[in-house]
Amino acid sequence: MKTILVVDDEDAIRNLIAEEMREEGYEVLTADNARDALKIVEDQPLDLVILDIRMPGMDGLEALPRILGLKENIKVILNTAYSVYKESFMSWAADAYIIKSSDLNELKAKVKELIGSGS
Amino acid sequence: MSAFKGLTTIIMAGGRGERLFPLTRDKAKPAIIFGGIYRIIDFTLSNCLNSGIRRIYVLSQYGSFSLDQHLRVSWDLMRPELGEYIYSIPPQQITVDRWYRGTADSIYQNLKLLDEERPRQVLILSGDHVYKMDYGLMLDFHRSKGADLTVAAVPAPRREASAFGVLHVDADQQVIGFLEKPPEPPGMPENPDYSLVSMGIYVFEAEVLVRELIADAKNPKSQHDFGRNIIPQMVGRRKVYAFSFKDPVTREPGYWRDIGQLDAYFAAHLDLLGEKPVFDLYGGDWPIRGHLSPLPPAKYLGQHKPVEVTDSLISPGCVLHEARVSRSVLSPQVQIGQGAEVEEAILWDGVKIGMGAKIRRTVIEDGVNVPPRFTIGYDRKADARRFPVTEGGVVVVPNNVVLEGSG
Repeated sequence: MKTILVVDDEDAIRNLIAEEMREEGYEVLTADNARDALKIVEDQPLDLVILDIRMPGMDGLEALPRILGLKENIKVILNTAYSVYKESFMSWAADAYIIKSSDLNELKAKVKELIGSGS
Repeated sequence: MSAFKGLTTIIMAGGRGERLFPLTRDKAKPAIIFGGIYRIIDFTLSNCLNSGIRRIYVLSQYGSFSLDQHLRVSWDLMRPELGEYIYSIPPQQITVDRWYRGTADSIYQNLKLLDEERPRQVLILSGDHVYKMDYGLMLDFHRSKGADLTVAAVPAPRREASAFGVLHVDADQQVIGFLEKPPEPPGMPENPDYSLVSMGIYVFEAEVLVRELIADAKNPKSQHDFGRNIIPQMVGRRKVYAFSFKDPVTREPGYWRDIGQLDAYFAAHLDLLGEKPVFDLYGGDWPIRGHLSPLPPAKYLGQHKPVEVTDSLISPGCVLHEARVSRSVLSPQVQIGQGAEVEEAILWDGVKIGMGAKIRRTVIEDGVNVPPRFTIGYDRKADARRFPVTEGGVVVVPNNVVLEGSG
């Protein structure tokens, strides 16, 4: 089974994404901050990370190279409410950049494209 | 200055320099003494200055203190209030918890810096080359071709070319093939005894560089090296051009040496010598900035016999007593005693050669005291028992040995 880590400091968003991804048949882990996320990346086998950018403490763009430094093959989708970071070189290391929306279809399609369908 | 707007310049200076051991055992390769009063990195830094580039990042790692110290003592001349700088950057571990894994990784780890500067082009240089080059000409060439990457290139004799990346170019100078350190380097069509080699000097379109570095960082099979990975992967896929490095006056291929190993270090010193040296420090049009010290002029003392000096470079503060010195390079404050003979030697700061000692084809590190009547360079077997001796027969005397007796 494919495993996804959802990293977002907002409980509602994190839980929504996690729930929908489970429904798609993926195993889902969650973290509400980047430091915990890095620990999970280090310890657990993962296929993909859905990563928020604006978070207290370490932000998503700081976490991204660290995630890739731990597991260079892991796929990462930046999932943010803001489009400005798309210009940042740091964001180019992600496999996709998706603007947050209550409709998760774009996110689901991207996940499927990157790691295949769940279960 | 405006030509360099939109340019970020990075000098890679972090390598271990294992093939220059023992000279590099406690120093970064670019911080090694060269030509009496210079450090190897002074050539690249002087090229920047002479080209009009006054914003420079130096990526350091191994032996970084020696490099920082040198930059502080000899290169503290930029004006921050004019936006000028030379910054030395060791692995900061702010993006990843590791050392620089290779040349490409050293830039990848500093992506944030490129993100802040947002240059159009990035000039990537190496801190261990000896040459004089106007980078402005290369940048003009790069822009006129609309290239993604321009590699500076120079012809090298085929048998030496296997130490470098070898380029195959078409009539328009576009690179259509690249072989990193091939055992059998292909010759150039117009000159089969020579191969066109990469000087490890690159101008990249900044956004192309970032995309290539990210892809490389994600490739577990990569060694994260420009020559081995980045360049070969771009040839055929991106617009890669070769810039022929030529002497601006003669239009002949320019002088360029990669000081990668001890014999090259020694040979490049001999290139500085003679009436018409292969590499001329006395041209005046392209000054190389070295260490400036408040030392008195060199002094020759000949009470009974004159000091004989031929084809040599003698730095300030040296004192020579009725000695014979030929084809040698002396750093500041070297002292040579009566009757001593020094031939094809590179003597670093403060070396003392005792009376009647004979030194030939030897590099001696700073502060070494050679006792009276000691000989080095005349008996390879005896030398090899005490010191490292290179393939080319050059003896290296590090300053962590004590020389006793009359050898």
